Amino acid sequence: MCLQQKHEFEVAMTCEGCSGAVSRVLSKLAGVSFEIDLPKKLVWIESDKDVEVLMETLKKCGKEVKYNGTK
Amino acid sequence: LCSVSIAVEGMTCGSCVQSIEQRIGSLPGVIDIKVSLEQENATVIFDPSQQSPESLSEAIEDMGFESSLSE
Ligand SMILES: [Cu+2]
Ligand SMILES: [Cu+2]
Repeated sequence: MCLQQKHEFEVAMTCEGCSGAVSRVLSKLAGVSFEIDLPKKLVWIESDKDVEVLMETLKKCGKEVKYNGTK
Repeated sequence: LCSVSIAVEGMTCGSCVQSIEQRIGSLPGVIDIKVSLEQENATVIFDPSQQSPESLSEAIEDMGFESSLSE
């Protein structure tokens, strides 16, 4: 079992519709657990997947995404 | 060219509408898209050689919104 890293992403979410969409696309990815902070526009993802993969998945929502590194 | 109306659930504001219009509107074979927040649907004009109602609905699902073909 590998140690999972917690990645922080900034996603330009403005409302529950946005965070709902983010949560739905992430749910479709197997092996991730995540937390969303809508007011701060932050998404924390715990996963052993590549950052690139997570980034592409988040971008599917059509919002701007920025990677803040691991926390 | 064909036109299809697709039911879209989970949008809450204009920014949801905009992100769908932008992302789906930029897919190959999509000529025009109008998304209505009130009616919870998207009307898409597309080239049937490049897209189908199913592929369009799937693309909307992929963005994290619930989508279904009404007819
Ligand atoms: Cu929103
Ligand atoms: Cu919205």
